[in-house]
Amino acid sequence: MTQVDVRQRILADNATAAAALRERFTSTRTLVTNLISSPGSGKTTLLEATVRSLAGRLRLGAIEGDIATERDADRLRGLGIPAHQILTGGACHLDARQVRDALDEHDLGPLDVLFIENVGNLVCPTSYDLGEDFKVALLSVTEGEDKPFKYPAIFARAEVTVVTKADLLPHVPFKLDEVREQVRALRPGGRLLVTSATTGEGVAEWCALLEERLRAKRGGTP
Amino acid sequence: MHELSLATDIYRTARAAVDARGPGRLDSVRVAIGELAAVEPELLVYAWEAVVSGGRDAGAKLEVEWHPAKQVCATCGNVAERLEGMWMRLCPTCGRPVHVEGGDELDVLQLSYTPDGEEERP
Repeated sequence: MTQVDVRQRILADNATAAAALRERFTSTRTLVTNLISSPGSGKTTLLEATVRSLAGRLRLGAIEGDIATERDADRLRGLGIPAHQILTGGACHLDARQVRDALDEHDLGPLDVLFIENVGNLVCPTSYDLGEDFKVALLSVTEGEDKPFKYPAIFARAEVTVVTKADLLPHVPFKLDEVREQVRALRPGGRLLVTSATTGEGVAEWCALLEERLRAKRGGTP
Repeated sequence: MHELSLATDIYRTARAAVDARGPGRLDSVRVAIGELAAVEPELLVYAWEAVVSGGRDAGAKLEVEWHPAKQVCATCGNVAERLEGMWMRLCPTCGRPVHVEGGDELDVLQLSYTPDGEEERP
């Protein structure tokens, strides 16, 4: 029997594809976010509110990951932004090669911000770098405040946590301070935004964060 | 449930490493998995068995080396003693915020293989 030292990252192929995407997004000066949450926490709805708020100022586009149906991409195309649906056919996450192939096949045109909406899942998408500038974890108030400690991997990696459906706070026993504490323990210095796409609460703050990050990526120039 | 695609990736890496050294059969692969890698070790082993079954490397073992994450206090340097899966909100010694270190391991470490012509696997 022969022993061999391998010392190679699992998902090294994904890392290579993600690095190429990151280079591509740097050359096109596009800010890219990877949105991760459980199903039904309001990723597409937050994006719709974002598009309504920013579409006049920024060129936005989206890649939507779902197991089946074009519904999410249709919703965003309905608001006038280019959107491409990746159908994973059962796979629980997007990987960098799928994003690359989607962009090669469907030119979304020049973009200021590209949203990659991952398959609804708080676990698997965490492991796959998609060449994004930062990950966003979404958590709706109906899911309960214990999610960060239950799914530490995503909340430790997400630079921004967005609490959604805040308009329902009077109706559900959701402890916002508990989420703050848990997120701080896993990601000190991470941003936490409280939003409601229904009332518009926090949407301006979220959009300001995107604009601020875009300016930073472009070295201070718009 | 992405363990199957990870197991496939591990197998591809291991097989390529054997192929690069000449014909042979894979005996075992050792991987490092971190607590924050979003991977369930038992599922990974189960997926691995499915990946290698029926092929030339059927029976090859996957050994998982588990790496817990640490919570370290930035102020007093205390490394919080924590039970697996439990998280501190603040440093138990000084009450200041802690940060997470490590736990994101996801690596193929080593493998062993039997070059063709050597003795059969016991």
